[in-house]
Amino acid sequence: MGYEILDKKELAMNEVLYKVHAPHVARKVRPGQFVIIRAFPTGERIPLTPIKWDREEGWIELVTFVRGKTTMRMANELRPGDELLNVAGPLGNPAPMKKFGRILAIGLITGMVEVFPIAKAWQEFGNDVTTLHVTPEPMTILKEDFERSVSRHIVESYQLQPGWGMNEIAQELVRRAVAKVRELLEGEHWDLVFIVGPAGGEKAVFEVVKEYGIPMEADLHPIMVDGTGMCGSCRILYDGEVKFACIDGPGFDAYKVDWDQLIHRVGFYADMERRALEEYLKSLRGSE
Amino acid sequence: MARKKPKLIKERVPTIERPAEERVHDFKEVNLGYTFELAVKEAERCLQCPAEYAPCIKGCPVHIDIPGFISKLVEYRDNPDKAVKEALNVIWACNSLPATTGRVCPQEDQCEKNCVMGKVGDKVNIGKLERFVADYAREKGIDDELLFEIVPSIEKKGQSVAIIGAGPAGLTAAGELAKDGYDVTIYEALHEPGGVLMYGIPEFRLPKDIVEKEIDKLRKLGVKILTDHIVGKTVTIEELLQEYDAVFIGSGAGTPRLVRAPGVNLNGIYTANEFLTRVNLMKAYLFPQYDTPVKVGKKVVVIGAGNTAMDAARSARRFGAEVTIAYRRGEEDVSARVEEVAHAKEEGVKFVYFVNPAEFIGDENGNVKAVKFEKMRPLEERDARGKRKIEGTGEYVTLEADTVIIAIGKHPNRLIINTPGLEVDRRGKIVVDENLMTSIPGVFAGGDAIRGEATVILAMGDGRRAAKAIHEYLTKKREEKANA
Repeated sequence: MGYEILDKKELAMNEVLYKVHAPHVARKVRPGQFVIIRAFPTGERIPLTPIKWDREEGWIELVTFVRGKTTMRMANELRPGDELLNVAGPLGNPAPMKKFGRILAIGLITGMVEVFPIAKAWQEFGNDVTTLHVTPEPMTILKEDFERSVSRHIVESYQLQPGWGMNEIAQELVRRAVAKVRELLEGEHWDLVFIVGPAGGEKAVFEVVKEYGIPMEADLHPIMVDGTGMCGSCRILYDGEVKFACIDGPGFDAYKVDWDQLIHRVGFYADMERRALEEYLKSLRGSE
Repeated sequence: MARKKPKLIKERVPTIERPAEERVHDFKEVNLGYTFELAVKEAERCLQCPAEYAPCIKGCPVHIDIPGFISKLVEYRDNPDKAVKEALNVIWACNSLPATTGRVCPQEDQCEKNCVMGKVGDKVNIGKLERFVADYAREKGIDDELLFEIVPSIEKKGQSVAIIGAGPAGLTAAGELAKDGYDVTIYEALHEPGGVLMYGIPEFRLPKDIVEKEIDKLRKLGVKILTDHIVGKTVTIEELLQEYDAVFIGSGAGTPRLVRAPGVNLNGIYTANEFLTRVNLMKAYLFPQYDTPVKVGKKVVVIGAGNTAMDAARSARRFGAEVTIAYRRGEEDVSARVEEVAHAKEEGVKFVYFVNPAEFIGDENGNVKAVKFEKMRPLEERDARGKRKIEGTGEYVTLEADTVIIAIGKHPNRLIINTPGLEVDRRGKIVVDENLMTSIPGVFAGGDAIRGEATVILAMGDGRRAAKAIHEYLTKKREEKANA
């Protein structure tokens, strides 16, 4: 028994949307929750966030950012009519729905996908939401959806330079995010800042927000395996205590997160992830 | 029985075991079990104590008629297929997962503990005989044959039961209830059914294709299994009660306990649950053919000395690591099965006793590089479980380690116990009455969800007891409805 892919389309460079039949998730999911999917018999379990769903029709939409073996293989091999082997969820806690006031919701690169359902719900709940997408061009995912759903949508984009490695790309992201956020914080009043992105970028933005003393929530993405509180892979240090992002999060008060530890933990398998990707690319060349 | 009892054979017929130096390089099964000839020879050693007396039956949590199934092997020794079919029929009356229990039960503390043969020689190898029957039946398709005879005779009751968790407790309850004629649906959070049999116990101790085949038998009995469904998230117990006539919670003890010591979140420190899930369920030992990675360093320290610790230690050995088990008590209080400890030692796992972790020491990149332990000393007094109490000495010892696996136990799963109206104790164990019914009428529970942390067979025993209680509960409901 699998979950049929009803539609698949490329939203932006390396950004693929899958519309999947998963009624058990669609009937229950709320903004801020995630699912864990498995796409191949030898595959890993990866967490993804539903951005849209239809409770009646029983579908959810998931977006992957193509960066490792699994997401690349999915982009290459899966077609509408195929099935995902597993879609487990909804997992994690929904984002808190209350009147905060003026909210700045930031998405770094593909993190923007996760911001969408939460920002939309906050706006509908009576908040005044500004969304900020910091991303290299031409990745302006969900731009129109945002423009329709929140008070104001800002895209801060920049050109990637040929020859940049991962470090330069990350540095430029942080530089742009920090500058834009500072500009927005300086000129306007905010009641809450919310962010979704890579841990290093989230931390850098938090350092700025902290200077202004504005409450800040961050969705964290430590490495997960089961996603149901069983393994402890996703544990973080939060206010001096061990928490599991899968069942205690994924949203946390940014002021209480041990950011350096999170950044270390996220990178633990980087070499093996690279190797898996390289072997996959080699196998593609071999089959040509 | 026509055949005359042969004279006492004091020594066990040995099973075939792969040598340690060979098996430590792969994840294939360590013990190869009996052939039919050897099984019959071992079966002949059984004294055939009468069922009402037999201490083995009393020692078995699910009360299998042990002399009964063993006698079939001897009785039909000239017809192996018939012998196994008859024996399996006896076992199935009480246990639907014999290939599993034959491998993972702590027989020395249960059925074999009081075996009368033990007074004059070796106890009968009940575990390996049970395993032989299950394995032979599966390989020859005899189990299917028996199933096809059972299924048509099942009388449908028109009532349904939801089971939460496809582990030993849930699978057992499901099998029993399906045989009783109920429509059974299992809700499983992970992508594979089996629970701890799939994610926890390693391939070299319990091959996964065997677990899959045992679960297939349940499907043939009509049991429906929904994977990817997390009760408490995907669906609540309240909703299940609207759809089903009764619910059984067999959600296990999946929340790992962590050492309360600084540095516990350093990279390279795994809970046993994470390490074993990566290795067993996700097959990280086949990376990169399988996508899920695991990192096993050169020096591995495993904290704890239960079966899970042995599983983790022996798995780590198979990645080529030097492995040390560090235990805060002494050798006499090691809680793992005798066979697991022996296998671990044969495979070169080292043991350090009377050390309690005090701090995890990391390098500049946030990776663990050593564990600082406080040396402990034993006291004369014993605790409630009969283990010797210990106290700290104030002296410390440091063990180098680039991988640490914490195997000090588990708590019940948190997602389930947050159900409104479901009474749990302060450790998160679900409170049940003598019929295993929880504080919510029609909702039953068993296994580690009520015990905290126990064994596969005790969970299966609960599954059977709960199935019986559910059957009685639903029978009453049917009668009430008929009378109304």
